[in-house]
Amino acid sequence: MEREQALRILYETIDVVNQQLPPARRLRKAPETVIVGVSGSLDSLGIVSFVVTLEEKAGEMLGAPVVLLDEATLVAEDSPFRSVATLTSHLATITRG
Amino acid sequence: MNAVSNRPRVYFIADFNIEMLARLVAHTVVPGAEVATAPFGQVMPALAGAPPGPDWTVVVWTQPASVVDAFHRALAFEPVVVDQALAETRAYAEAIVRFAAGARAVFVPAWVRPPWQRGYGMLDFRPGTGIGHLLAQMNLALAEALRDHPSIFVLDAQRWMAAVGPRGWSQKLWYAAKSPFAPALLEEAARDIGAALAGLDGVARRLVIVDLDNVLWGGVVGETGWQGLNLGGHDHVGEAFADFQHALKGLTRRGVQLAIASRNDESTALEAIDRHPEMQLRRDDFAGWRINWGDKAQNILELLADLRLGPESAVFIDDSAVERARVETAIPEVAVPDWPADPARFSETLLSLRVFDSPFLTAEDRARTRMYAAERTRRVDPAAAGNLEEWLESLDIRVTVEPLSDSNVDRTVQLFNKTNQMNLATRRLSKTELQAWASDPDHLLLTLRVADRFGDSGVTGIAGISIEGARARLVDFILSCRVIGRGIEDAMLHVAIAQARARGATEIVAELRPTPRNGPCLDFLRRSELRGISDTVFVWDAADAYPRPRWCTLYDSPGMAAAVDQ
Repeated sequence: MEREQALRILYETIDVVNQQLPPARRLRKAPETVIVGVSGSLDSLGIVSFVVTLEEKAGEMLGAPVVLLDEATLVAEDSPFRSVATLTSHLATITRG
Repeated sequence: MNAVSNRPRVYFIADFNIEMLARLVAHTVVPGAEVATAPFGQVMPALAGAPPGPDWTVVVWTQPASVVDAFHRALAFEPVVVDQALAETRAYAEAIVRFAAGARAVFVPAWVRPPWQRGYGMLDFRPGTGIGHLLAQMNLALAEALRDHPSIFVLDAQRWMAAVGPRGWSQKLWYAAKSPFAPALLEEAARDIGAALAGLDGVARRLVIVDLDNVLWGGVVGETGWQGLNLGGHDHVGEAFADFQHALKGLTRRGVQLAIASRNDESTALEAIDRHPEMQLRRDDFAGWRINWGDKAQNILELLADLRLGPESAVFIDDSAVERARVETAIPEVAVPDWPADPARFSETLLSLRVFDSPFLTAEDRARTRMYAAERTRRVDPAAAGNLEEWLESLDIRVTVEPLSDSNVDRTVQLFNKTNQMNLATRRLSKTELQAWASDPDHLLLTLRVADRFGDSGVTGIAGISIEGARARLVDFILSCRVIGRGIEDAMLHVAIAQARARGATEIVAELRPTPRNGPCLDFLRRSELRGISDTVFVWDAADAYPRPRWCTLYDSPGMAAAVDQ
């Protein structure tokens, strides 16, 4: 998957997850937006919902299952889930044919 | 009895993590709703307790295997006795019924199972064997057991599954977050719950205003004449337009009215409606129309004024994005759905709108088109052009006064929750709350059925009276906009005061609770014979009967004190 495609489905995922958040806490569609981290808007349920939705959208685009949800990766210090930018790179990398 | 809070309150009970649904409801579908969830997985203990309060609507969503043990065993392909599964289903329904007595309403999504669960495959719908058949029986038993409880509604979760397909169910979410349902399915559920909450609040849309060219038919009637229109026949586009008209006509049987706002020459357009052999809708199917070259927003406002409906009652359908944007901007309260370019999608777009939900379907709903047609005839009656009182006398108005009963309670609840303009207190009450209020021996709830020589308007008026010693308080004074302006208001006051006098009241007080919409009620009270003692409080000295409009004949039903006061 190209980086642009990865970013697009991340933003689509943000649209889905934002419906579960109050307006003041909604995720911005911006590279620096925090997904997992102390300054992020998502609680544990929100993170799971975000990642599963992203997996589903990536899978639909590629026509093959995409697995991203991994607890160890989520909490790692250099977790790719830190921000929209890092997650975009991660998604593009693991889905590159 | 408390009136229902304006801020919806929704309590969720589920055997799975229902937090995502609660958040969708609170933050997107019903912004500002207060939501709470019972402890996850504690369905039966939660149902054995009480709801947070009588103004809370409760969603009870379970998976069949968690409340019906026989179904749990059936999933493991154990042979089960169907009657045992149905008995467990009815026991679950009984728990919901007990719980519902303390809630405003209860929504129960029907049971579904994962799309990948094929059960016995080709045998899965065989009675006595199939898991799919057993689940269908359980759902029917659940709906039957809850049928006679007017505040409990079984929601069709199967449709949510069908709408989103296999992606609605997520085993991964189940393992990771204990929710088997993915956000896509929960969004469908949340939107149906939002529509049902709006239905409970009586804010369902009651009027669909349609354009004509390329909406009701293909082509431009002003250019081709009715003979050149594409409608019905052996053409897939013509068939789609005819089907759309069928769908609109179907809505009228649910109490939704139709009207036309079209840029056209009126006589040309009406000729097409009258003469095209494939028209499914004829003049009498429309409550009104504005067919001219004027501004559509202005035409819609005039139509609404004619029909005495507020803009929040209307849906506007037009194929032109420019016209839709104009109406959306000028009258933001009107619902203006995005409209597909392809006529093949017209019917599905109309029928998937979540704006018509109502907790009841009354005889008045089914007859509303006929009533509006009668009203149009009434207005063009030559007698109407002359003296108003003479015209009113010519109408032969008959008002029948009845107490609240099983036969009129649904319509009465509907009037309580839908009527805005001629409404003294704008109390919004559920059926249970209304029946509880009316059962108080010091309370009197009267319904008025109105008919005239043009037709029967059904139950259109309500007077609620509280006897408080020597004083009677007019608590509710509600009149459908359909019959405003024919003196029924005065007849209703006459009846309410007669009833209060018969119970020994020496003074009757009516206090208006102002809302942005009930100005017509205040105007009427000011014009009435009541004595104003402040801007919103009016009294009547009960030594005298309140004058009865001479053009109304009053009838009282058996068991009521005389409606007519001498």
